[in-house]
Amino acid sequence: MRERDPLQLPVAGLLVAIAGAAWFGAGYFGRELIAEIAILAIFAMSLDLLVGVAGMVSLGHAGFLALGAYATAAATVFWGWPPVAALVFSVAVAGAGALGVGLFAVRLGGVFFIMITLAIGQMFYAYFFKARAFGGDNGMAGTPRFDLSLVGLETGDPAVFAALMVAIAVAVYFALLLLVRSPFGVMLRAIHQNESRLASLGCPVRRYKLAAFGLGGAVAGLAGALMAQHTGFVSPDLAFWTLSGEALIIVILGGSGSLVGAAGGAAVFVMLRDTLSDGSFWAGLHLSKDIANHWQLVMGLFFIAVVLLARDGLYGRLSWIVDRVRSTRRGREGGSA
Amino acid sequence: MLLDPQFLIVQTLNGLQLSALLFLLSIGLSVVFGLMNFINLAHGTLFMLGAYFGLSAARAFDSFWLVLLVAPAGVAVIGGLLYLVLLRHMQQADPMKQVLVTFGLIFVGLESVMIVWGPLPHTIDVPALLAGSSTVLGQVYPTYRLFIIALGLAVFLLLYLALERTRLGAIVRAGVDNRTMVAALGIDIGLVFFLVFCLGCGLAGLAGVVAAPVFSIFPGMDMSVLILALIVVVLGGPGSLKGAGLGSLIIGIADTYGQVLVPELARVTIYALMALILIFKPAGLVPVRSGH
Repeated sequence: MRERDPLQLPVAGLLVAIAGAAWFGAGYFGRELIAEIAILAIFAMSLDLLVGVAGMVSLGHAGFLALGAYATAAATVFWGWPPVAALVFSVAVAGAGALGVGLFAVRLGGVFFIMITLAIGQMFYAYFFKARAFGGDNGMAGTPRFDLSLVGLETGDPAVFAALMVAIAVAVYFALLLLVRSPFGVMLRAIHQNESRLASLGCPVRRYKLAAFGLGGAVAGLAGALMAQHTGFVSPDLAFWTLSGEALIIVILGGSGSLVGAAGGAAVFVMLRDTLSDGSFWAGLHLSKDIANHWQLVMGLFFIAVVLLARDGLYGRLSWIVDRVRSTRRGREGGSA
Repeated sequence: MLLDPQFLIVQTLNGLQLSALLFLLSIGLSVVFGLMNFINLAHGTLFMLGAYFGLSAARAFDSFWLVLLVAPAGVAVIGGLLYLVLLRHMQQADPMKQVLVTFGLIFVGLESVMIVWGPLPHTIDVPALLAGSSTVLGQVYPTYRLFIIALGLAVFLLLYLALERTRLGAIVRAGVDNRTMVAALGIDIGLVFFLVFCLGCGLAGLAGVVAAPVFSIFPGMDMSVLILALIVVVLGGPGSLKGAGLGSLIIGIADTYGQVLVPELARVTIYALMALILIFKPAGLVPVRSGH
């Protein structure tokens, strides 16, 4: 994130406005998609806190998503807790899990950090895959959604649930933005830029990184709890490393370190996946609609293109364009005066 | 169960067979990691391609030995093309970009395989010469699996001799230790990278063909072996031949016994082992780099 970042809030407002317009226009399926995007946006923003702000590239972030989802499943289905209490529990479990993992992981840097997070994420996957209590590789169903009947709202209705998810995503966004702009966030960005300098200045670098890792894990756990509510289902696939990889792609696509970029990236990612796997889209391009069966091929090529071409992501490009327009306008005004 | 000699012999042989496959798979990954500091997540995809190339080659030729030669060569060519077109340009990029570009390749490889060979699993017949069983220490054991163990051992010895006794081997060892210095001595290190990369891909392909008669060939067979191969590399120490051998041995035996003795926690313990090694010995059990 840049020091002066005048676009951050307008872009966030624009995204929420688009979500709102889509919400009014969409049917049942479209609103399910909005809820999915909002939850994925929370997950991507939590990863952006690690990758873009603190400079810790994790390939096991989905492990904490799964931890949160399974915590909600256990609390609601096994112990009969209300979903709100289960949500708090999920955040606590995932946050504690991330702190425990981070205690060891933050000692490493570069490619070794990527490898250890990958290993630990896969450890969660392997555990849930075999855990009989949670249904093993079949996963388990029956996680309920929030109960808002007291205020007369039915969260089973996608319209209500989608609006609620967007509202939560916005709240998480503001919380993370405040965090990133706080002295703590400034320290994280400084560590990202030059870790050894900060260490030699006497900054307890590892403690800062550990705190960021724990917070990122807690927010990922929140996303996991919401995901379990949304689909009513948890499975080991939530912890699989490819989900972490996709979240990283989303962060880079949106523009790493910009928070709002990660949210936008999540929207682009879900829409793209939905479009590419839809046969009528390919038929509309006068191509065989069977290509839709192989949408992952196009997605893989898209991933490679994103990594190779997106230097600072969609958000970075947008800021660049706005800067250019402003400076030429200023130049013109200066010329006429 | 542990004191039963029959059980011990059969499971140990199973473990050694997995070790041999893991060694063939991981040695390329390890040397490329050590030499270029490059993690190729698509290495499992090359293993899968080897199996599918073997499938097609087995339909085209009668001789299994020819298949064993043609399929890895095909994978080496694919690997070489990937290197020239894409990966060569990624060497200076930061690790995240390297990892994610090869992550994208996994999906491309997976779908390409589905388009060409379809989504259903296939198998290759065991060659007639190796189809029967042999008796090892009084235990009847499939000859083909013994062949896999022997092949892994033979490749290890060949690579060892090549690394220790040839000029190219010396350059590779020097490159792992300090590539800038090697380049400064006037050696075309880029060409060496390319050759080593192709060889590593070919060996991953060989692992795929050899594994095909034992396991079924299906899209997605790359995923589980990829993580195991990464664990072997980290465990043994990136860039080390002996490390890859030792790592394969440990993981092959540990995974086999783990699956039988504590099925609930089998893979969990292996991932935990990798995490522990990374924390306490990031350079692996057989560190090769003198540090620079």
